[in-house]
Amino acid sequence: MQNLLKILLRYSNFLVFILLEVAAFLLFSYNNAYPRSSILSTANSIVAWQNEQIAEIKNYFRLRSVNEELAAENAALRNQIYSMDSATNREAIHYESAKVVQMTTDQLHNYLTINRGSVDGIQRGQGIRNAEGVVGIVRTVGKNYSVVLPIINTHTNLSCRFTKNDYIGTLQWDGKDCRFAQLADVAAHMVVNPGDTIVTSGLSPVFPEGIPVGIVESSVLKEGESYHRIRVRLHTNFKRLKYVEVVQNANQKELEELENGMD
Amino acid sequence: MEWTKQIGRYFLVMLLQVLLFDQLQLLGVCHPYIYILCLLMMPITLPHSADMIIGAVVGLIMDIFCNSLGVHTASCIFIMFIRPYLIGAIVNDKDRLNEQITLRTLGMEALLKYTVILVLAHHLMVFLLAAWSWSHIGFVLMETIVSSLITISIIIGYNTLRYR
Repeated sequence: MQNLLKILLRYSNFLVFILLEVAAFLLFSYNNAYPRSSILSTANSIVAWQNEQIAEIKNYFRLRSVNEELAAENAALRNQIYSMDSATNREAIHYESAKVVQMTTDQLHNYLTINRGSVDGIQRGQGIRNAEGVVGIVRTVGKNYSVVLPIINTHTNLSCRFTKNDYIGTLQWDGKDCRFAQLADVAAHMVVNPGDTIVTSGLSPVFPEGIPVGIVESSVLKEGESYHRIRVRLHTNFKRLKYVEVVQNANQKELEELENGMD
Repeated sequence: MEWTKQIGRYFLVMLLQVLLFDQLQLLGVCHPYIYILCLLMMPITLPHSADMIIGAVVGLIMDIFCNSLGVHTASCIFIMFIRPYLIGAIVNDKDRLNEQITLRTLGMEALLKYTVILVLAHHLMVFLLAAWSWSHIGFVLMETIVSSLITISIIIGYNTLRYR
């Protein structure tokens, strides 16, 4: 017993090191496995407040471009009102506007924080878009702020389709360039041309059908492979993202419950 | 008095990190984490385990700002763990090191060795953990080298200006 104590004392520093590292990795794996937890993230008020202050300062340097974006967004919104078809109406979509207070674009796992939270009715899994196109999916909801997983995150998968023939594919991101994403699961028999338009498929309740995603930049079919390698130029300019809209589908919960009930 | 100065420096460097260096997005591969300057320059008079706990706290604060729970914490604990052994390996008479670790107490050659090894270890660990797969290893290495170069030059620069 005494010997054991001696050994423990002798290696106490190493034991502290192991204990602390284990705690750190528990935090790390918890954060990776249960991303919905809103503890210790930018959804927390203090950190998000600081981010908002920085965003405020940055704002002054780009008032002109923000104005232009707002004008364009207004126009797009007006168009949306006119072109709302019966299909979207039935899905009871409501758009909630939000401001991006923090965002990264040059890491493998990019995130952005918006200044809307559970108080404003934001829920995990709701889609985010802006006037240009798809932005991402809400991942963590705080009281006044939420963290969004944008499509330029290597964890994100988004179901998309070609406008020309309704063929479905999965949009992914390879972590390299925030202007381009990759479209997977498009079989070799399908003809893909540069310039083809990609929109959301509407197969999940996250996004209604037909929100612009991007256009095909290039497509490679290697010998012996059964899927195209498609590079998509995204419509959304993540470098200048400022104002976004949260897509709130009143039927989302019901649809998800139905889908979950199938298993 | 010495410790109030240390804590003041922690605040300043953390502010600089969050307000300035985290906002830089140069070339997509440059994320210098200059906040470890404080950890590197702390005197080694505290018990080893206290050092590691300070590392854990500093890392955790950084993680909260970066949305990367655990990544900085693990890396900071690691460099605080290897720090005294590294000092033992590159400095012969440790008696000189009762103050904080600076250019004045360590000399240029030893300081360079010390900074390069610890910064590289920290940055590599941060970027590897953040990527969490081997498929981006080339990108991770590139990110490590570019960011480490900037962090190292800032730490050495601070030392030559302040502690010549």
